[in-house]
Amino acid sequence: MRLLLLNGSPRGTAGNTAILLKHFTEGFLANNNNSAETGYLKRAIDHRKLAEKFTGASAVIIAFPLYADSMPGIVKDFIETLGRVRGKGPSPKIGFIVQSGFPEAVHSRYVEKYLEKLARRLDAPYLGTVIRGGVEGIQAMPPFMTRRLFMAFRSLGRHFGVTKEFHPIIVKKLAAKERLSMVKKAVFRACQSIGLTNMYWNMMLKKNGAFERRFDRPYQP
Amino acid sequence: MNIVILNGNPDPNARELERYIDALTAELAAKGHEVNAHTLRDMNIRSCTGCWSCWVKTPGMCAQHDDMPVVYTSVMAADLVLFASPIIMGFVSALLKRANERFIPLIHPYLVIDRGECHHLKRYTRYPELGLILHKGADADDEDIKITSDIYARIALNFKTTLRFSIQTSQPIQEALHAIAAA
Repeated sequence: MRLLLLNGSPRGTAGNTAILLKHFTEGFLANNNNSAETGYLKRAIDHRKLAEKFTGASAVIIAFPLYADSMPGIVKDFIETLGRVRGKGPSPKIGFIVQSGFPEAVHSRYVEKYLEKLARRLDAPYLGTVIRGGVEGIQAMPPFMTRRLFMAFRSLGRHFGVTKEFHPIIVKKLAAKERLSMVKKAVFRACQSIGLTNMYWNMMLKKNGAFERRFDRPYQP
Repeated sequence: MNIVILNGNPDPNARELERYIDALTAELAAKGHEVNAHTLRDMNIRSCTGCWSCWVKTPGMCAQHDDMPVVYTSVMAADLVLFASPIIMGFVSALLKRANERFIPLIHPYLVIDRGECHHLKRYTRYPELGLILHKGADADDEDIKITSDIYARIALNFKTTLRFSIQTSQPIQEALHAIAAA
């Protein structure tokens, strides 16, 4: 199977989407009959060429971080290009990976509805949308904290490489909780009261000497 | 009311949405509202690069040098912000979406539990109400309108405010005026 992976992160090769795709691709290529190519949507200038590749692929996976509750503007830009260059007739199979910094899956369910409709609009068999929250900060985490996440993406890729489908159990495992349970909310509030929930942001703010200015309101009328 | 319109129509030759916005602006001004319409296609609005300078380096300020500060100032002084766009490939234009995600300097990186879910903390004490004006072209259906409006209700939640209405250019201007008066 010839798979085209489209990375829709504005951070391109340096982003978290790239890390998740790297693990997915490793798993996918474990099957020697498979080949994969990754394209980056970061630059609009590449969109036309990638839209042409889209038409020639047997399957396409578009992965992106959740930006303002939906796809980043550059991904929407690519979808508009796709709408212009695509001829009539069926498209390749299409699946999506949406990752976000929010811990719950619910945030990404609204764009999932859009993506499912997009597949229909493109006359493309829909492979589903993989949703994963809590991804922001993975580059600052020690390996023991990300090991299971990366393993899950590798096995998602491995199964995809054999069955050409997202394995439903792995998809469910990755989405984890739709909403925070009462217990999780209580834990979150307790962590918040001792400043644990914002540790990552505080670390970055302090590193940049911006901690004291963190509540600035430069556009206060 | 201080009303800001962000016109996300990328095509100046697609006149229906332009006419609707012009007519609405005239009616609102006649009622004594202050209306500021920004035509995004005529402005330099770059994509968010995800650098997070606005959260961790220069809190509240974007690192990019383009026309967004005009929008920030205008939006934070407004009582109501109207996002206007044609539906293209089932959603608002990439142009409007690009401007929307540049709103992150206006909120805080910290996460808090808000209405039972994790959302970002407010940076400002007060945010404008939001409304959507959508132009449903030949390629769009009611499902696209619903999907888009639902996403904008979520955007409103993360922008610490509420999406008060979603109207279409096929509806009479009077209906838009009623929706605005109620917001």
